[in-house]
Amino acid sequence: MLRPVSSLCLSPSVKLKLVRAGFQFTTDLLHLRPGQLSAEAGVSQQEALQVLQAASADAAGGGVTALELLQKEAELKSIVTFSSQLDEALGGGVPVGKTTEICGAPGAGKTQLCLQLAVDVQVPRCFGGVEGHVIYVDTEGSFLLQRVVDMAAAAVRHCSLLAEDEEQRVAMETFTVETILSNIFLVRCRDYVELLAELHLLADFLSARPKVRLLVVDSVAFPFRRLLDELSQRTRLLNGVAQHLITMATSQHIAVVITNQMTTRLRGGQSQLVPALGESWGHAPTIRLLLHWEGPRRLATIFKSPSHMDTTVQYQITADGFRDTEQPELPQSKRRQT
Amino acid sequence: MNWDQLELSPRITAAVRRAKLKSVREVLCFSSLDLQRLTGLSLSDVQQLLTVTASACRRRPPVTALQLQRGECPGIESGLRLSVGCPVLDQLLRGGLPVGGVTELSGESGAGKTQLALQLCLSVQYPPQHGGLSSGALYICTEDSFPIKRLQQLIREQSSLRSDVPPSLISSLHFSDHIYIEHTADLDSLQVCLSRRAPLLLAQGLVRLLVVDSVAALFRSEFQADDWLERNRQMLTFSSALHHLSQEFTTPVLCINQVTDVFNQSNNISGPSSSSVSPALGLAWANQVMVRLMMRRLQETVVTGDQSSILRRLEVVFAPHLPRDGRDAAVWREGIRGVGKSD
Repeated sequence: MLRPVSSLCLSPSVKLKLVRAGFQFTTDLLHLRPGQLSAEAGVSQQEALQVLQAASADAAGGGVTALELLQKEAELKSIVTFSSQLDEALGGGVPVGKTTEICGAPGAGKTQLCLQLAVDVQVPRCFGGVEGHVIYVDTEGSFLLQRVVDMAAAAVRHCSLLAEDEEQRVAMETFTVETILSNIFLVRCRDYVELLAELHLLADFLSARPKVRLLVVDSVAFPFRRLLDELSQRTRLLNGVAQHLITMATSQHIAVVITNQMTTRLRGGQSQLVPALGESWGHAPTIRLLLHWEGPRRLATIFKSPSHMDTTVQYQITADGFRDTEQPELPQSKRRQT
Repeated sequence: MNWDQLELSPRITAAVRRAKLKSVREVLCFSSLDLQRLTGLSLSDVQQLLTVTASACRRRPPVTALQLQRGECPGIESGLRLSVGCPVLDQLLRGGLPVGGVTELSGESGAGKTQLALQLCLSVQYPPQHGGLSSGALYICTEDSFPIKRLQQLIREQSSLRSDVPPSLISSLHFSDHIYIEHTADLDSLQVCLSRRAPLLLAQGLVRLLVVDSVAALFRSEFQADDWLERNRQMLTFSSALHHLSQEFTTPVLCINQVTDVFNQSNNISGPSSSSVSPALGLAWANQVMVRLMMRRLQETVVTGDQSSILRRLEVVFAPHLPRDGRDAAVWREGIRGVGKSD
C-alpha cells in the first residue's frame, strides 16, 4: 500500500520540498536517516526527524485484525446507569472507548444521567464497576453539588447492601461519598473558546491521571448555539470538537458522554423536535440517546447505534438518581422525594 | 495581544506575528493543520503553541467536587442559595435560588410572580446566616411600572414576615436604598442595561440579585410571527448576557415569564403538567433556563386574622437539583408565604 508523502500531516512547505526532491511515497523515506534526508531534501534536521517519525508511524499503524479489535473491546467495560432496562438496551451500559450523546428537551433528565454516570463510573470492580475517575466539563453551570451528594450517598447505600464477601466489604471502606467527590474533576467553561482550550489540554490531564475513565461534556450545544450567525465557522469548530472527542475516547480508552439540546425543525409545514447542532454533528457520537416525555412517562430511546436495535425503555428520576420504574404498568414516573 | 507574555520560543512568537493572529481566542479557533499553513511552523511547534494558548485561556485547572464542597475554590460556587424568606418555600427549593444560573418563574397574570420577586429583593439584603447575600438587587422592569407602593408596604411589614431575624437587624437595614430599578421599554435599552450598568453594579458589590420582569413582554411585542429567526438570535444574545453575569459574579438571576395556552395537552415536551398553560417563548428560551418554576392560582381562599388570600401553588417544573414538586402559598400583607407543612 503506497501512501503519497503529500498526504502526511506535515507543514506544506516541508511537503513541497520532499516532493521536489523526488520523494513520492512514504516507502521512499523509510530507509533514510534524518541527516541524509535533511541533506537530500534541503529541510532542517528537526523537520527531517518529524518527517521520518510521521512516515514510520504510518507504516507501523498498518492495521489490526477484527479479532484483535473484538478482544480489545471485550476488555473495555461499560459504565452501568443504575437503570437495568437502559443498561440492557445499551448492552451493559455506557460503553468505554466510545462517544455517547444524550439529547433531550429541558427537564428531560440529561444532566441527571450525566451526574449519575459520574458517580457510577466509580463503582468498585468487585461490584462489576469500572472503578475509574471522571472529568466533568460543565458549560451550563448546572453541576450542582447538592445533587451529586444525593446520588453518591444513594450509590454507596446501594453497594453496601449488596456487599457479601470479604473483598466487597474491603472495597466498601474506600467507596464513600467523600472519595466519590474527590474523584470527580470539574471544569467550568463559559464559552466555546474555553471549551476548545479545555479539550486541547485534556490529553495532558488524562496522561497525568490515568484512572480517568469518563469524560462528560454537559452540554456541547449550550456554548455553540450562540454562534447562530456564523454557521460555517460553527460547523468547522464542531467538527474539530467531534474529532477531539473521538480521538480521546478511542486512544485513551475512556467513555465520552456529551449532551445536546433539542430544536424545532420545520419541514413541509410540520414542526418536529430534532437534536440541535445540525446534521453533520449527528455523525460524531457512536450512540445517540434521546430522553423524552410521553404523557406522564419518562422514556429513553436509542436512535443511533451500530450495535443495538432501536429500543425505548422507561425510566424515572428519584431522589436517589436515575432508576428503573418499579412498576412499568403503572403510569407514574414523577420524581418523588423519599 | 502581547504574545511575549506567553511562554513561547521567540521563533514561534515571530511566526504568529507574521501570520497576523490577533488573539489567543483566534488561535484556538483554528485547527492545527490550518495553523501550520498560516504560520509555516512544524506540527510540534503548532502543538506547543496550542497548549500554551489553551493554558492562557483557561481560568483554573480542574477542581474536584470535594474541594468544591469544602469551599476551597473561590469563583465556583455550588452550595450557596438565596432564601425566598419563607421556610416552606425554601424547603421546596432546597434553600432558595442557586447563585449561578438563570431561574425562571412563570405564571398567569395575578399568580404572584412579582410578589415573589419583590420579596427576593428584600431577602437578598440580609446577611448570609439569615439566607441573604448582604447585597442589593437590580430590578429590570419591561412591561409595567415598578410597584413601589407594594415594596414600601413589604418593607414596613418585614418584621412580621421574618420573625426569625432579630428586629434590631431588620431596622438597621435600609431596604429601599439597595434596590436599583431600571425601566427598559425595548430590547436595545435592555441590552445597554445588561452590558453596561448591570456589570458595574455587580462589580462594585452593590447588587447580587438580578430580576427581569418580564422577559416575555419584549420578545412578544417586538417581533412578528415570521421574524422567529431574528427573535431567536436576540433571545440567545440576551440569555447569554444573563448567563455571563450570573457566572461571572456568582449572582442569582430571576426571569419572570408569561404563559401561553397549550392546545395539545398530550404532546407536552416538558412532561406532565397540572395546568393548561406553559411558559412563553418556546424551546429556544427553555434551553437557556436552568431552574424553571411555575406559579398558578387555585380556587380556594385562605384566611388568617383579618386577611384573606387566594391560594396559589408554586411548582418546580425542572431543575438539576430539585424533584418535581410543589407547595401551596398565599400572598399576605407582609409577603408571600407557603401554606401548611414545613419542617
